[in-house]
Amino acid sequence: MARAPRRSLRITANALGVVAFVLAIFPVYWMVNSSFLPRNKIRNPVPTWVPLGGDLDNYRTVFEGDQFLNAMKMSLIVTICTVLVALAFAFVAAVALSRFRFRGRMSFIVTLLVIQMIPVEGLFISQYKMLEAMDLLNTVIGLTLLYVALVLPFTVWTLRGFVSGVPYELEEAAMMDGCSRVQAFFRVTFPLLAPGLVATGVFGFIQAWNEFTLALVVMTKEDKETLPLWLTTFADVNRGTDWGGIMAGSTLIAVPVIIFFLVVQGRMVGGLTSGAVKG
Amino acid sequence: MRIKKTLAGAALATLALTTLAACGSDSDSDGDNSGDSAPKAADIRVWLNGADTPQEARDWLKKTFEDQNPGSTLTIEEQEWDGLVERLTTALSSDSETPDVVEIGNTQAPTFTSAGAFSPMTDQLDELGGDDLLQGFVDGATIDGETYAVPYYAGSKYIFYRKDLLEKAGLEVPTTMDEFVDAAVALKQDNPKPANFSGFWFPGQDWRNGAAFIWDAGGDLAVESDGEWTGSLSSAESVAGLERAQQLFLEASGAPKDGNEADPWTPFCAGEVGMMSTPGWVKGLIEDPETGCPDTFAKEIGVFALPGSDGAPAPVLLGGSDIAIAAKSANQELAQKAVALMLSEEYQTILAENGLTPALNSLAPLLGDDEFAQATIAAASNAKLTPAAPGWATVEGSRVLEDLFSALAQGGDPAELAADADEQMNGQLNG
Amino acid sequence: MTDTAPRPRRSPLPYALLVPAVAALVLALGYPLVRQVVLSFQEFGLAQQFGRPPEWVGLDNYKALITDDYLWVVTLRSIVFCLVNAVLTMVIGVGLALLMRQMSKGVRILVQTGLLLAWAMPIVASLTVWQWLFDTNYGVINYLLTQAGLDFEGHSWLLRPLSFFFVATVIIVWMSVPFVAFTVYAALTQVSDDLIEAAEIDGAGPTARLRHIIFPTIKPVLMVVGILQVIWDLRVFSQIYILQKAGGSTHDTNLLGTYIYRLGIGTGEFGMAAAVAIFMLVLTVALTSPYLRVMLKQEKEQD
Repeated sequence: MARAPRRSLRITANALGVVAFVLAIFPVYWMVNSSFLPRNKIRNPVPTWVPLGGDLDNYRTVFEGDQFLNAMKMSLIVTICTVLVALAFAFVAAVALSRFRFRGRMSFIVTLLVIQMIPVEGLFISQYKMLEAMDLLNTVIGLTLLYVALVLPFTVWTLRGFVSGVPYELEEAAMMDGCSRVQAFFRVTFPLLAPGLVATGVFGFIQAWNEFTLALVVMTKEDKETLPLWLTTFADVNRGTDWGGIMAGSTLIAVPVIIFFLVVQGRMVGGLTSGAVKG
Repeated sequence: MRIKKTLAGAALATLALTTLAACGSDSDSDGDNSGDSAPKAADIRVWLNGADTPQEARDWLKKTFEDQNPGSTLTIEEQEWDGLVERLTTALSSDSETPDVVEIGNTQAPTFTSAGAFSPMTDQLDELGGDDLLQGFVDGATIDGETYAVPYYAGSKYIFYRKDLLEKAGLEVPTTMDEFVDAAVALKQDNPKPANFSGFWFPGQDWRNGAAFIWDAGGDLAVESDGEWTGSLSSAESVAGLERAQQLFLEASGAPKDGNEADPWTPFCAGEVGMMSTPGWVKGLIEDPETGCPDTFAKEIGVFALPGSDGAPAPVLLGGSDIAIAAKSANQELAQKAVALMLSEEYQTILAENGLTPALNSLAPLLGDDEFAQATIAAASNAKLTPAAPGWATVEGSRVLEDLFSALAQGGDPAELAADADEQMNGQLNG
Repeated sequence: MTDTAPRPRRSPLPYALLVPAVAALVLALGYPLVRQVVLSFQEFGLAQQFGRPPEWVGLDNYKALITDDYLWVVTLRSIVFCLVNAVLTMVIGVGLALLMRQMSKGVRILVQTGLLLAWAMPIVASLTVWQWLFDTNYGVINYLLTQAGLDFEGHSWLLRPLSFFFVATVIIVWMSVPFVAFTVYAALTQVSDDLIEAAEIDGAGPTARLRHIIFPTIKPVLMVVGILQVIWDLRVFSQIYILQKAGGSTHDTNLLGTYIYRLGIGTGEFGMAAAVAIFMLVLTVALTSPYLRVMLKQEKEQD
């Protein structure tokens, strides 16, 4: 008898799951669908549900010239730099915040939260002036610096939870078994943190990957533009927006994110847990 | 303690390495723009927007400039209209990163000219074309007797119509404003299907086309007296124009009451449009098999300039671009030479041959003599600009006019709505 | 708490470890933030941006803000919108995470894939596609509803503010749920199965199990995620901005994010925009202060 409610629960859950899947995926499907259609089929009184009779013209447009690959390269460099630097900085800060008790610790945590709350829309003009003074406009370092600051508060905040989520006793136990302090940390604690680093990395990756305004004002040279900037070349108000190109470009832009995700997803689910519980 | 320090040291070292190794690879700062104002050889950076300027013109400009100024180079950097204001706001304020010459939308120009972002060109005006320049553009960029930008090219919207539908309804091409409105209403009545058919396609947010009705009725968007700008949408003349626009919204248009005017070829190719007011380049998109409908409705396109109440072309909104020299540019003289080339007869001829209304009135005939060229020339002949108020960008930014026209389309009272809009604009017009 | 890290000691080491993060934040945000505060006390427009000296106006910007009735309308609207969206996102995200535990493996992978793809979709594309789906004349939603025999031909979803915000909510919730669902699901995998089974044997129903075992365990995660939703939803900009271009009345649908933009970049009044930004910061702190207090209390207990 105890099985009956469980089964009906599973069926309900599965049904709702399928509904959620359809709702989540439909806009994505529509993007991919549109990317195979000519412009006059994308917006039409009668929707085209399946891209039968579509072609790869939009993708051909995307690969015309070397701008797309250039922007892809630039985006990858900036995003990966941002993620690596932010994780490294956040990691040591998180160690300090969770393995030590010191004066100013609480105020630092609160400050991070408040920074997270500052509306960033108006800041880019001052940030531009600052990079100009540092001679960092149109450089990967300049943009990376701004992106690191963008994702750092969240990253420190979350990683701190991950570090304190690993019981200190584990390290002590390892030291009893003859490990040095450093060995104990890297053999015992660090592996447990890997999922946490990955989880926060994904968040930073998506943030930096999609950022537009800062890239717009900092990277003004054509060979420095990132993918979101490149995407606007399809929206020419005086020539009509090339929706097919935008959709094909967006589909391609999503691919690295998905790859990054798939590579790390297994760890991420575990990773988010231990960190967030403590957060 | 020692261990902990070692640990921290290791972490710091790793991270320092990561930062430097991964991101230190690029550091190109071209700091060669020395502050000397002598016409020394330099690289002149020209910002052009979108794909409007034909490749032929770009090549000519670069080659001619570099031939005439040995040692100097000219680089065209293409900008997107999306985000242009943000980029100009930042880049034009920078000594090191500023471009030398920029193209800017003619309605965006007054904001930047009044802010001091551009160098005055008043002394140059005569050699650039003088009275032959499109006067409205020059006026729009002139403040206290100084002119800060010159016209680059213009373009006005004109009416596209379906020849077959006009014929079916037994209508002639309208020659006055009254005939135009009547024809639009009659077309709508003559085509009950589809339900969203438009005798005149007029989406609710489209104040840029709507302005023509205000001007034709003798009204204005805003007026200046004693240096003070005030909204004048609620003047009797303006309200008469708004009522006319409302009649079109309610009796002739099937476009969304709150929609914008993007992608007009979509409803046209869906057979939902009898007449619409669009830029000339829309023709190319309607005839393109990828975007339009070359086999069906594209064959029925006819065009004319919107007629005014007096039978002459109505005053429509003049679109287009200005060209200006960045005030922070270290190469003022060379930049002036580049601008002179862009307004030269050769360069403007290339623009005209590509369907852009040239900055010089005398070159207009180069547009050609088919009906499209004639409509282009006629529409531009009486076209007007948005008010040259210092705060006009604020008015556009807060979308007062989109809201006003959209409310008209929904049947609101014109006089009341206009009074509200005037009140909002009065707080914004004077910057 | 298992948190028995090295006890307090007078050591410069923790400070040294904070140096990189602090340096990056100070370097990238220090000057801009100070300047933001300074600007809010100045009359600073485009002309000042291009070199004209700014004029100190004291509290004038703030005075103009506070006496602007429209700002309070927008503020109230933003708070309501933010709370509705944050609550909906949390309910749907947490609900989905709880359901994911009950699903068959295949369906769960399906749901995770869907959420993943939705999260990875570039913002420009997702905003455009949603706009198309709700389009007045060519929208798939109107098409389907009309096919189903309802009178939705040419229905404008953005015309009425309430309907406009409904569309905005759909888009924002769709964009935010993946993050919440993934995080909370991860937290749920930490709930001990033994405890749940024990509770089941003791006769605890699903509701009791949820209340007494599951929620206490994932509460810290819920707080973190919830606070982020409030912060993000109060600042919402792109979704509203794009929808306003597509339809509806801008005046009736402005939220703080779009209002700041139109005061600042849209119009070149940077001094004013800085004042609004600081106003918004204060508002966010006020809105989230109950959360903050609880979180800080937990921190103190750990010390």
